[in-house]
Amino acid sequence: MSPAEHRKRILVAMSGGVDSSLAAALLVEGGHEVVGATMKTFCYKDAPGPTRTCCGLDGILDARRVADHLGIPHYVFDVEEEFSADVVDDFVSEYARGRTPNPCVQCNSNTKFRDLLHRGRVLGCEGIATGHYARIEIAPNGGLAILRGRDHDKDQSYFLWGLPSDLLPRLHFPLGGLQKRDVRQKARSLMLATADKPESQEICFVPLGDYRGFLETRLPQEHPALLPGDLVHSSGEVIGEHPGFAGFTVGQRKGLGGGFSEPLYVLEIRPESREVVVGPFDQLFSSHMLVEEPRWLTSVPPQPGDSVRVQIRHRSPDVPARVSRTAGGLELEFEEPQRAVTPGQSAAIYLGERLLGGGRIASARRAKVTAQ
Amino acid sequence: MERIYLDHAAATPLRPEVVTVMDEACRRFPGNPSSLHRWGREARSALEDARAKTAAAIGVEAGTVHFVRGGTESINLAILGRVDRVRALGASTPVLVRSALEHPAVREAMEAAENTGCVVQELPVSPEGDVDFPRSLSTVSQLPALVSVQWVNQETGMVLAIARVAERCLELGVPLHVDAVQAAGRIDVRVDRVPVAFLSISGHKLGGPRSTGVLVASEDAQIDPRIFGGGQEGGLRPGTVDVAGAVGFARALEISVERLDEESARLSRLRSKLEAGLLGALPGLRVHASEARRAPHILSIGVDDLARDLLPAALDLAGIGVSAGSACRSGSLGVSPVMRALYGDIAGRIAPVRLSLGWSSTEKDVDEAIRRIPPVIESMRNAGPPSGSEPSR
Repeated sequence: MSPAEHRKRILVAMSGGVDSSLAAALLVEGGHEVVGATMKTFCYKDAPGPTRTCCGLDGILDARRVADHLGIPHYVFDVEEEFSADVVDDFVSEYARGRTPNPCVQCNSNTKFRDLLHRGRVLGCEGIATGHYARIEIAPNGGLAILRGRDHDKDQSYFLWGLPSDLLPRLHFPLGGLQKRDVRQKARSLMLATADKPESQEICFVPLGDYRGFLETRLPQEHPALLPGDLVHSSGEVIGEHPGFAGFTVGQRKGLGGGFSEPLYVLEIRPESREVVVGPFDQLFSSHMLVEEPRWLTSVPPQPGDSVRVQIRHRSPDVPARVSRTAGGLELEFEEPQRAVTPGQSAAIYLGERLLGGGRIASARRAKVTAQ
Repeated sequence: MERIYLDHAAATPLRPEVVTVMDEACRRFPGNPSSLHRWGREARSALEDARAKTAAAIGVEAGTVHFVRGGTESINLAILGRVDRVRALGASTPVLVRSALEHPAVREAMEAAENTGCVVQELPVSPEGDVDFPRSLSTVSQLPALVSVQWVNQETGMVLAIARVAERCLELGVPLHVDAVQAAGRIDVRVDRVPVAFLSISGHKLGGPRSTGVLVASEDAQIDPRIFGGGQEGGLRPGTVDVAGAVGFARALEISVERLDEESARLSRLRSKLEAGLLGALPGLRVHASEARRAPHILSIGVDDLARDLLPAALDLAGIGVSAGSACRSGSLGVSPVMRALYGDIAGRIAPVRLSLGWSSTEKDVDEAIRRIPPVIESMRNAGPPSGSEPSR
């Protein structure tokens, strides 16, 4: 904090992981009055198996341990109801439609940050903070912009495209300028209990990563997504049966059964006929995609003809694309065809390091297969 | 900012007199009270003196007082020890009865018993504090192994009509366990006036040491131990007894009972002032258990349409320590069974706050609370509803 900045009361979302722990510690170091909070998104009591993910009891207790160590208050916010309605229901309904949802994006866009801001306001906090690897800086036009985290391997701006833009003036990402290894090292030097805690990769409400099992508890037994259907080759030939399309994701190779003459990949899921369409690798590429209901973090969204960069999955590089249409969703044409453009996943749109916005991928147009 | 502690129902600071006697006991009695030598005798004599003082304070025989590690242990021992005994006597599915307002120590001990095949029955409590006893009990085909009813409710301060419950249990020949953790030292709990089989008291609610407590088990009460090894505490609670803890507990209980009348009048007056002050500043405030007799140390209020989990946090940030009903292990606040019983379906919309006073509470604490709490609630209200009401996606 520069001397010119005043001491603020800041609410930090602490999941119990090393990143948000250090985010809180850095704000304390910066002289702010820091209030820690863990959002309880589901009841660990009902969860099968260990609750080692970020939102489980272990996470809450770790966050509290760190807060106690830092000498800051720590509270638990019960957001189970909102989370269930906004995130879990959406997750289930997307899979039921044959899409592959990204619940962390949904949570950031509609639940977590808004809720945090509201609760922060109720508690007299001027700002809110999280341990995301992303930066907030003043944009050339004077507004605020979200930029990729300095550590490009850890960058989490992809998950933030749906953030309400009115939030930015109150938002702090203390880790945006740091490398992950420095975060761990700093956490160790501050003797934070979470310094060496492993990364959590799971979706917090599907503790064992068993999506299919989770969907079975949430969908009616006879839901089409859980019923067997045809495995159809892109040539039109029915080549087998699958146990229900809910478990499948575009681009997936595993789980299709063996015995085919060539490696096959999921190309498309057709919920209305319960068909899972598969084909060879070279048919997995799309030239265009349609992004539904885009949200923008800029006052001047890209227009048809504009060149942007787009990232279509976490940990993939962004790739150049051109806006081909903005009416009825945002249509992008990739400069190079892209592999496994997956409906339901997020498309985050960048200009250089700057996150402009994004949306959900609604559909993709398969690229013409060139001669092999 | 000066801090105001209004959470004496959770833990009360040690009384200085207690610190003195414990300090002395630690230094004077280095031995194990079970040893036969001089050091053992001296420690034993201090322990038995503590037992006698405890017994006198609540009007029971010294032999019925068993020192244990706190209220929860006392309650668990009474319930589960009783279940073990009736099983040993041949009951296959013992019946346990409790009121709807019981503390989690009772509730969860009975749940644990339920998991081993016991049957648990819940008795409703009227807004006046009457336990709906006879009618409900007639639905049980077999006499209960134990009835457990609290004397004072931990969330609202409601005093339950224990005398009537005790009378009814006596008629039926059913042993009664009374959780007196919130009652002891706040109201008269002398059991020579109210016949009960078991009584649980905790030290740290009385200005005594943490992790101390007693289970009073009347001479004819049949109960088995839950842990084994050594014959201490009549075999009911084996393990070397913490002499200084027992001495501190006894002193704390003794002082609380000695000063009961004046202290209860003082706390009632402070509580009334707090209640009137808050009601004056915050119209529409709900005061819990107002139709019942209330223990003098608890003021339980409910604020409408305020986030349940934020009010205690906001008060904490304003330097005021309170509780909001019972927190679960994570610290997250669910709707407690007590609030559910009180409000039914709308319980989730009401933010409960328990303000509780104790021996160290002063007039200044109350004045300061009246000055600071209303603005906190006002500014929370002004923060408005969540802005995320736009449709998702």
